[in-house]
Amino acid sequence: MLKEKIDGLLDRVQKPARYMGGEMNCVLKDPDSVAIRYVFAFPDVYEVGMSHLGSRILYDIINKREDALCERVFMPWVDMADLMRSEDVPLFSLETRTPVGDFDMLGITLQYEMSYTNILEILNLARIPMHSEDRTWDHPIVIAGGPCAFNPEPLHHFIDAFSIGDGEISTLETIDVVKACKAEGVSRQECLRRLSKLRGVYVPSLYEATYHEDGTLASFEPTEEGVPRTVVKNMVADLDKAEYPESIIVPFMEIVHDRINIEVLRGCTRGCRFCQAGMIYRPVRERSVEHLLDLAQKLVDETGYEEITLSSLSTGDYTCLPQLAHELMEKFAEKRIALSLPSLRLDSQLKETLEETQKVRKTSLTYAMEAGTQRLRDVINKGITEEDLISSVTDAFAGGWSSVKLYFMFGLPTETTEDLDGIADLAGKVVRQYFATPKNLRAKGLRVNCSASCFVPKPFTPFQWEPQDTIEQFTEKQKHLCQIMRIKGVEFNWHEPHVSFLEACFARGDRKMADVLEAAWRLGCRFDGWSDQFSFEKWMQAFEQCGVDPAFYANRRREKDELLPWAFIDAGVTQAYLWRERERAMQAQVTPDCRKGCQGCGLKRFEGACEGR
Amino acid sequence: MILQFQKGDIVRHLGLLDLQRTMQRALRRSGLPIAYSKGFSPHIVMSFASALSSGIPGDAELLDVGLTDETTEEACLTAMNRVLPPSLAVSRVRLVDDRYPKLGAALQQAQYRITLRGGGTKAVAGAIDGFLAQQEIMALRKTKKSETMVNIRLMIHELTAAYDETQDCAVLTARVSFVEAATLKPELLMESLCAFAGAQPERCEIRRTALLGLVDGKPVPLIDL
Repeated sequence: MLKEKIDGLLDRVQKPARYMGGEMNCVLKDPDSVAIRYVFAFPDVYEVGMSHLGSRILYDIINKREDALCERVFMPWVDMADLMRSEDVPLFSLETRTPVGDFDMLGITLQYEMSYTNILEILNLARIPMHSEDRTWDHPIVIAGGPCAFNPEPLHHFIDAFSIGDGEISTLETIDVVKACKAEGVSRQECLRRLSKLRGVYVPSLYEATYHEDGTLASFEPTEEGVPRTVVKNMVADLDKAEYPESIIVPFMEIVHDRINIEVLRGCTRGCRFCQAGMIYRPVRERSVEHLLDLAQKLVDETGYEEITLSSLSTGDYTCLPQLAHELMEKFAEKRIALSLPSLRLDSQLKETLEETQKVRKTSLTYAMEAGTQRLRDVINKGITEEDLISSVTDAFAGGWSSVKLYFMFGLPTETTEDLDGIADLAGKVVRQYFATPKNLRAKGLRVNCSASCFVPKPFTPFQWEPQDTIEQFTEKQKHLCQIMRIKGVEFNWHEPHVSFLEACFARGDRKMADVLEAAWRLGCRFDGWSDQFSFEKWMQAFEQCGVDPAFYANRRREKDELLPWAFIDAGVTQAYLWRERERAMQAQVTPDCRKGCQGCGLKRFEGACEGR
Repeated sequence: MILQFQKGDIVRHLGLLDLQRTMQRALRRSGLPIAYSKGFSPHIVMSFASALSSGIPGDAELLDVGLTDETTEEACLTAMNRVLPPSLAVSRVRLVDDRYPKLGAALQQAQYRITLRGGGTKAVAGAIDGFLAQQEIMALRKTKKSETMVNIRLMIHELTAAYDETQDCAVLTARVSFVEAATLKPELLMESLCAFAGAQPERCEIRRTALLGLVDGKPVPLIDL
C-alpha cells in the first residue's frame, strides 16, 4: 500500500529518479534474513549524497555482513518533502521503500554544518522523535559520523551516539553492540551505555555541560561511572587491509561526481593551518599501487564508468603517483577511460603526470592558492609559492590547457588589503602567462575561474581560537575584491558571508546551538546550503527566540585556557600542538611537512600511527 | 545488434538522457565488442528506435547498437542481462547487418495498453465505437514548434477495450501513427476520447507495448522487419 502511494508521488515531483532506487549494483536483501537493518541517511539530495565516498564505503561494509543489511535514504527535495507530509507518506528507504523509522539503526553522515536542519527534517519525516530521550526501542538507534562529528555538541540533543574518526571499524562495532543488546533484551539506555564504551563513540546524553556566566563552558563531565571522559577518535591503521567497495551503485540520473572514485591515501601532513581535514584525518596512510590497480579494474568492470578520479586530501602527495597514473592510463586507454586528478598539488611531480592525463581527455586544472600574498600563505602554512603556480600554468598552457581554476579564501587571520590585492595580482599574472605562451602551442579560449570563499575557523585547527570576520567586514572586503577582479579573461565568484557566518556558529558551537537549530527548523529552515532555500532572517529570528548571540560563536576570540566544547575529543593532534602552530602562524613562520621531520602533533602517541605511509 | 528491452514500472520516470547513459554504461560493462565512433571524443554507436516520454513504461523498447566483431544473439542476451538492472531487462536480441533499415526511419506505428480504473471508466470504454465512427476527430496537437488542430481519426489504426465490471477496470489497446509528421500521443488520444464520452476515469495508466513498421501495409514489430 505504501509502495503504491510512493509510486503515485513520483508522478508529481521534479527529478523522480532521486527516489526511484533499483539502480545497477544496489543491494537488495531479505529483511527477515538479517539481525540488524541499517539505513544510511545523507542529509542532502540524492545527486549530492550519491557522490560521497564515505557513504559508499559504509554501504558496502555493512552489506558484506551476513547478519545485516544497509539501505539508503537521502533528503527529499522540498517538493517531495511537502508532498510526503500532505499525503501522509513517511520517509522511506530507496532499496525496499521501507519506512526509515522501521530500521534498527539510522546512520547519518555529517559533512557540512549547513545540512543540520536537514537532519531534523529527516527525523521528522521519518516520524522519529526529535530528541534522543523520547525514543524507545520502537525507533532506530540514531548514529552520526563524519568530519562535523569532531564537534558534535550542536547536535547533542538529536543524535543517540556519534562515531568519531574513521568509520570502517567503528560502524561494525556499533552494529555488534546493538545486535547483542536487542538479542539480550536490555534497555535502550543500557545499549547507549554500552555504545559509549566503544572507542570513538560519544553518547551525548551521558555527559553534562555547565557554563560560566559569560556563556563559556565551565565543565564537561560524564554523568555515570565508567563512561570515558575522553573520546579517542578511530583510526584505520592499514588502508590496504581496510574494506573498499569493489562494486558501486551506478545511478540512473547524473550525480555531482559521476565517476569511479578511488581513495589513494587518507590524511595529509602538510599542516595547512586553516584545514580541519588535514588535522583530523591524520596520520597519512597510503594504499599500495597494486591494490589501487586491482580496485580500478574491478570497478571499471562493475560500473562501466568512463572516468576515474584519484581522490584524497592531497593526491599529489601520493608517493607513487607517477607510476600509478602511468599504469592506469596504460591499462584503460583502450577502454577510453579518462583519469582526473582533482586536488592535484602544484608542487608535486606535476608535469609528467599531466602529459599522461592529456593522452585521453583534457580536464580543467585547479589551484588552491588560498591566499594572495606569500606572507599570508606563510601564516596559513600553505606551502605554495607564486613561482610554483606560474611555472605550473606555464607548462599547462604550453601543453594545450586553457582552463584554470584558482581558489582563495578571504577573512584569514592577520589579513590586510595588501593580501586581497595579491589575489588580483596572481590572477592577472596567470592571464599574462597565457598570452605569453606561443600561439601555436596554446589552446583557444582562456578561462581563469577565480573564486573566493569566506574563511570559517574550525575546531581542531590552529585557528580554532580565532574570531571570524564579521559579515560587515566580509562585505567590505568583497566589494573591494569585486572592483580589483575586473580582469579580462578572469571570472570572479565569491561566497555569501551570511552562510559562512552560520557555518562558523555551528562549527564551534556548544549545546546551546542545538536549541537554535531546532528553533530555526521549526521556523521552516532546511536546505540552508542551497541559496534559493536559505533564509538568514529566519536564522536571526531563531537566535533571538533562544536568547543566543551568534557573534559569541563566530566573532569572538577564545583565550588559550578556555575550555572548548570539543576538547573532550582526542582527535589525534593535541591542543598543545595546535596552540604552538597558532603562535607560529601569528609570526608568519612556516612549519614543514611532517614527512620531513616530526612536528610533534600528537599522533606519535598512537602505536604505529605514523608508519603507514 | 538490436536489443529489445523493457522500461519497467519502477524506472518509467527515466528520461532519454538518463536511459542513454545507463545503456552506454551497461554496454561498456557487458564485455561485448561494442563499436565506438571515430573522432575526438569517441562514443558508443547506438540509437533508440524512439524516445519514450518520462513517466511511461514500455514492454518492448528497441536499441540499435553497433558491433565490431562476430558474436551470437544468445551471448548478447546473457551479457546484457548480467549488466542491466531487472527493470531494464533485455527480452530479445537480433543480430542484423548494416543493410537492416534504421529503426527510427522504419518506425510507423506504436501500440499502447491503456488501463483505466474507477470514475468514468465504464462510460469511456463504452464510447469507443461511437468515437471511432466519427469521420473526423479534431484535436490540438502540440509540438515543440507549433500547435495545430489536426484530424486524429486518421492516426488511429486500432482502438479496442476490454471492460471488467467487477474491478471497474478497462484495458484499452491502441495502435496509432508514429511518424514525424503524424504522431498521435496516447495522452492526446485519451483526452479526446474522454471529452467525447463526457466522462473521466479516476486513473489512467499508459504503457507502450510495441514499436511497429509496415510491411505491405501490415504492422510488423520493428525487430522483425
